[in-house]
Amino acid sequence: MLIFAISDKGGTGRSVTSTNIVYRHALQGNDVCYLDFDFGSPTAGAIFSVGSVARGTTRKGLHDYLLGEGAPEPHRVDVWTESDREGLRTKPPGAGRLVLLPGNEGGGELPAVEEETLRRCVQLFSRLDEEFDLVMVDVSAGRSFTAEMVLQATVRLPSVPFRWLVFHRWTRQHIIAADGLVTGADGLLDAGTRFGHKRDALRDRIRFVRTAVLEPDAAELVGLRDEQRAWLFACDTELRELASRHKVGRTSMLGKIPLDPILQWREQLISDEDVLASKIANAETAAAFDDLAKKIVDDAAWEGL
Amino acid sequence: MLVMGEVHTGLLQNSGEIPESTCRDVLQLLSGERVRVSRRPIVYAVSPDLLTGVDCRLPSASQSRIRGAGTVLSRSSITGGRVVQGSSYTRIERSGSDRRQPWSHYLARPGVVEVLGKVKSRDLADGFAEDPPADGLDLGAISARFLDVVQSSPLLDRRAPFKIARTRLRWVAEQGEPAIRFTLHSEQMRTVRLVHTGEFTPAVADLCEDLALHDWLLTALLVIIERARIGGTPGPEAAVKLAPAVDHLLHLWMPSARVDDVLSAYWESLDRRPGFTRQWQSLVDRVRDQLAVHTLAFLREKSGGGAR
Ligand SMILES: Nc1ncnc2c1ncn2[C@@H]1O[C@H](COP(=O)(O)OP(=O)(O)O)[C@@H](O)[C@H]1O
Ligand SMILES: [Mg+2]
Repeated sequence: MLIFAISDKGGTGRSVTSTNIVYRHALQGNDVCYLDFDFGSPTAGAIFSVGSVARGTTRKGLHDYLLGEGAPEPHRVDVWTESDREGLRTKPPGAGRLVLLPGNEGGGELPAVEEETLRRCVQLFSRLDEEFDLVMVDVSAGRSFTAEMVLQATVRLPSVPFRWLVFHRWTRQHIIAADGLVTGADGLLDAGTRFGHKRDALRDRIRFVRTAVLEPDAAELVGLRDEQRAWLFACDTELRELASRHKVGRTSMLGKIPLDPILQWREQLISDEDVLASKIANAETAAAFDDLAKKIVDDAAWEGL
Repeated sequence: MLVMGEVHTGLLQNSGEIPESTCRDVLQLLSGERVRVSRRPIVYAVSPDLLTGVDCRLPSASQSRIRGAGTVLSRSSITGGRVVQGSSYTRIERSGSDRRQPWSHYLARPGVVEVLGKVKSRDLADGFAEDPPADGLDLGAISARFLDVVQSSPLLDRRAPFKIARTRLRWVAEQGEPAIRFTLHSEQMRTVRLVHTGEFTPAVADLCEDLALHDWLLTALLVIIERARIGGTPGPEAAVKLAPAVDHLLHLWMPSARVDDVLSAYWESLDRRPGFTRQWQSLVDRVRDQLAVHTLAFLREKSGGGAR
């Protein structure tokens, strides 16, 4: 299964959330890999705490591979052995493989989608699908050649299942923008249809994920004045209505991740140790990642809308 | 001088094993030429050898810049309708001259790469285990493509029963006192160094493919057993995870099936140490014992339930 992670804007929490989902999916016993296709800002190495590829690799990364620059195989990082974080460096019993394919340090966005690049992308997806239960691709923000490339690649791999996750923050602007990225002019559905996907079938393979959500009844808000809390409730209700009008509402939402103070301070994986031992992360956050890691492969959560 | 090769082995991307006729059709697409099939003791279908032209750096332990030009022989094969291989090799020979020849010269010597300039056979052989540089001879990349062609055949449903990595076995064969050394590098990478008496024959490449096939089977079975977490998960769950091994792998172990009699001593030596067949047999016993224990537990539960 291929999962494409996209957002309309940068800074929505796409990379942090998708890496945490992949990590949880590996802990659940699946072999997973993470492809950093956000060539303009390859941050996945930093989130997995692999210092040597914190800003992308200096070896043959995905960017080199796709552009055919002397890389028959892109650089692979085994997170369970190469992470600098003590707690990540041993594979827990029952966990699957966790492999990162970093982008290039200083790679830059794809300049266009050449036939040769597309062919390599198809080959890569096809080989990884042979090997991994789940392949998560961080596609970068907005309309891009990268998004067009993967839309075309999936047309050429009709028997490889794929799904899209659209990440957005829980604000007016983000809700409207996330909907626009999918249904707007030259959005995912338009572009996908142009490349040969069936519009309705593609629609069924897209779900939204809300990031850094502050629930009005969250523990963080206990110190608020009554007026503030009332205002937040009103806002939240209004956003819900807006979201459902834009079809970003409950039915097309796969899950939401609560705002977590440690993620505001640092882009990282949240381990059980962070929750149980050092207690720096909230249990709700880890549980939300865990839940999403199950839902991405749960067909019931992806039935037609 | 010496021969270098690399074999990639993987699980055919189809839900079940495919019959002999489909093996033929899948491999036919590759070349249009006749596919060779042997049926005993296991169905084995192989494409004809195809040529790839190369003009590149050759491996060198001393990092010397050695250039070679010529052709590589490659083929795809399917064993038991279930396991697919892409295999390439080339003989490295000294060139009569220091100058690059026209392609017609190299095409007349299929499967030979001629070294331009001076070279020590030992330096080449010692360097081959390293991953090739960007401008280096990359037999692995060629073999991977020969494997891709099979995997992307429209005749396959792509619903393989389990996910599993391909393995790669890089080999080098020299002339001398017979010897063989098999080394495991990373999870997917293996090397074989083989010394044979007399001239090189394609039977040596067959032997390496047979070793690669069985090493992959062993690796895949180990992975499936690890995933099942025997003892760490409830019995029924472990049994479900072991089932694909029984359905798809256990019957494929036929060491030396296609190996020339002259070379079977190499297999025997590897079977003594590291002991491929011994390890395989003990894993197979483990899987069967687990399933037997699980069946007993299941029956006991059922009869207990009936008595109540
Ligand atoms: N659930 C969350 N709670 C708090 N902060 C978050 C959360 N998710 C992401 N962030 C923070 O938001 C910022 C942007 O996240 P990032 O994943 O880099 O976004 P993107 O990949 O969309 O550009 C980062 O500083 C990250 O740590
Ligand atoms: Mg990012």
